[in-house]
Amino acid sequence: MSRPRLTLSALAIAIWAVAPAPVAAQSADELFDPRAVHDIRITINSRDYRQLREDYLSNTYYTADVAWRGLKVRNVGIRNRGVGSRNPQKLGLRVDFNRFTKGQTFLGLRAVILDNIWQDGSFIAERTSMALFERMGQPTPRESFARVYINGAFQGLYAVIESIDEPFLTRTFGERDGYLFSFQHQGAEAAWRGEYLGDEYHPYKRFFEPETHQLEADAMVYQPILELFREVNGPEDSVWRERVERYVDLPQLVRHVAIEVFLAEGDGFLGSNGMNNYFLYRPAKSTAHRWIPWDKDSAMLDSHFGIFTRADENVLVSRALAFPDLRAHYLNVLEECARVAATDEWLLQQVEQLAALAEGPASEDTLKQFSTEAFAGAVDLIRQFAKERPAFVMQEVARARGN
Amino acid sequence: MSTTLRLTGTLAAWTAMFLVVTCTPATAQNTQSSGKKDKQANEDIFEWGEHPSLHFGKGTRIDFRARLAGELRDSEAPFDGDNARENIDIAKRRLGVAGQIRNIVEFEVDAEVGSTNTWRDVYANYRQFDFVQVQGGKFKLPFSLDENTSATKLDFVNRSRAATQLAPGRDIGVMVHGRLLERMFGYEVGIFNHDGDNARTLNTDRVHGGQTFAARALAQPFRRTKSLLSDLQVGVAMTRSDLPEGYPDLRGLTAMDMRFFRADAWVMGARKRHGFEVRWRPGPASIKGEWMRVSDERLGQGVDDGPLSPLLGTGWYVSGTWALTGENKANGVDNPRRPLFRGGYGAVEVAARVERITYGSKANDEAPSDGPRANVIPGNSDRVDTFGVNWYANRWIKVQFNVVRDTLTDPILGPLPSQPSFWSRVFRFQVSL
Repeated sequence: MSRPRLTLSALAIAIWAVAPAPVAAQSADELFDPRAVHDIRITINSRDYRQLREDYLSNTYYTADVAWRGLKVRNVGIRNRGVGSRNPQKLGLRVDFNRFTKGQTFLGLRAVILDNIWQDGSFIAERTSMALFERMGQPTPRESFARVYINGAFQGLYAVIESIDEPFLTRTFGERDGYLFSFQHQGAEAAWRGEYLGDEYHPYKRFFEPETHQLEADAMVYQPILELFREVNGPEDSVWRERVERYVDLPQLVRHVAIEVFLAEGDGFLGSNGMNNYFLYRPAKSTAHRWIPWDKDSAMLDSHFGIFTRADENVLVSRALAFPDLRAHYLNVLEECARVAATDEWLLQQVEQLAALAEGPASEDTLKQFSTEAFAGAVDLIRQFAKERPAFVMQEVARARGN
Repeated sequence: MSTTLRLTGTLAAWTAMFLVVTCTPATAQNTQSSGKKDKQANEDIFEWGEHPSLHFGKGTRIDFRARLAGELRDSEAPFDGDNARENIDIAKRRLGVAGQIRNIVEFEVDAEVGSTNTWRDVYANYRQFDFVQVQGGKFKLPFSLDENTSATKLDFVNRSRAATQLAPGRDIGVMVHGRLLERMFGYEVGIFNHDGDNARTLNTDRVHGGQTFAARALAQPFRRTKSLLSDLQVGVAMTRSDLPEGYPDLRGLTAMDMRFFRADAWVMGARKRHGFEVRWRPGPASIKGEWMRVSDERLGQGVDDGPLSPLLGTGWYVSGTWALTGENKANGVDNPRRPLFRGGYGAVEVAARVERITYGSKANDEAPSDGPRANVIPGNSDRVDTFGVNWYANRWIKVQFNVVRDTLTDPILGPLPSQPSFWSRVFRFQVSL
């Protein structure tokens, strides 16, 4: 996209942003206002800051103060975060408001992620993807943009992402007592596509880090997960559906995967290096797990991404899609995604609005991995995707249905 | 309920010690009573008075000392292996020599067998003039009455929490001290390598005070009178050390050495101690008390690189004793009027102590935070009540029994998170030559 077009878009978005701006007390909704670019200022002792940069691979927490719109929260814990996005130049950060101060929250939040958007040259793939997940009714973390300053120095454009934790569960599931896990990718050499890992808890503990109930016995925490993958790999097709549905909300999983595939997510549940980038939630009064999307910064790159790409590699998805009703559901969700994206160019509008928001701060961001020229090119790719993807998916879905 | 038995020393050592103290008193007392005659007969003589001694002419002698102690403890709270008992100055298998040379130089070399910190007191004191003496070597910094009381002469099994955790303890240094105006006033001023072994743990990641200046002034204003107040002594003391950047070694331990506070907060600047003490021993009774505070500066430790409110450790105690058998406390209840094996049953003394030790930050103007750079940290305090009975069988054998009640302000940080108060008991048997 050329600069004049971006500037015009920015003007349009500015008008759009100003007009309906809600006048309300500062709240988490305001922090995650998708139309805003916030200023978040972090103050951290210079020794800790040096250490934070030097030990960027470590998850050590440091004390800091965080200020936003005149509100300051003291003694928060911040640490480096990320896997592929970790780098000493532009730090990816997790901010825990209650790490050091028992019960402390900020706008009702226990934590937020300051995503350095390191691997996304467009700065908007993650946010556009999550916007679609939300639009499709999935439990989705809220996100906004922020200019982040550390000790007064501009660190670049970040995504402020709602932490997947108990307040998130309350907001999205209406309960917080269940078992929440973050999926921990173990590297390409340990790619896992849902095979049964045996009767010990240890292999599952490597992949599923508990975010709640950490002090409970392994049997309470991990037995349902172990059972899930045992049943998924069960030999009897006749009882597979009944047994697996005890542990998996299959329609929800199929919907989650279909949205990822629509977004051409290459590092998600059907990732090229095995499963990745999701949270798993088991409600308190059920053993049926549900999926929560996470980290979609490598999505939306290939508008001709096949709708069954790697579906046959994942045990759970391949066997689920063997059932006609689940396959039909999968295709329906893909079609729904395409319709949502295409209707009034919703997806393209998202891209334009977010690109306009990101343009200024991204160009000022001297710590980003890619050049400002590369930013424009990456946005063009996303724009291209938004234009082409709905039609391509509709075509693929029709073909899959035999039409 | 947990119980530990700490009998230090081998069975053989205990047996030998027992035989010595039960079989030699008569000899020792006889030697003592006839010592003057013997000394006149022979200038270089072995003598067994308070300790076995070798005399080499006028004013020159070497005393040989040995001490064995055993302890039996139990508590409602679980003992924690992390709390190293070895860090606390209790008598164990201690061997040493002390003496003087021509009444001008006195010396002491004291070692604790089997301890990680073998050498205790190793010093010489030039004492030609009463008003100015110079002492060098390793010895206790001049701070705290309780900390500077010999382990064998303590009124309770354990020293006060304040003395154990806030007073510096031993270090290597040089001290000038003396007594003035017919011993009505005393002073001690010294420079030491560090701020004492009480401030250090085995954790080398923690910081403690560097070179330390210490001073203590004592006064017995009624010493020259014959009133009941003649023994009254008051004193003040201070230390100052440079504290490097890091987490300090300050930690809060209950009476049975269970952790209730750990200072996981950055400090840097000066470590200052201030103390006040008072002691009075009218006849068979005694009362003493102390207040002391350790303050660790936190310069440049705020998130904005500014100073934080100092980290404080504050402690006080008031204790009293009463010798039921009538011994004069100032002369030493440990030398009973009617010793065991000499027609008596020794001396019996009852004791009680009330104390509190508190850790936290000086500021309290915001919500406390566990953050290592928080201005207000969540402190904790331990109120300890101790009741005891001491039996001094003779000058060598001492038996103590204490009942202790700890009450923590925040039990979550202590050994029994659901219970702020808990009882403990400790029994100590000590033989010293």
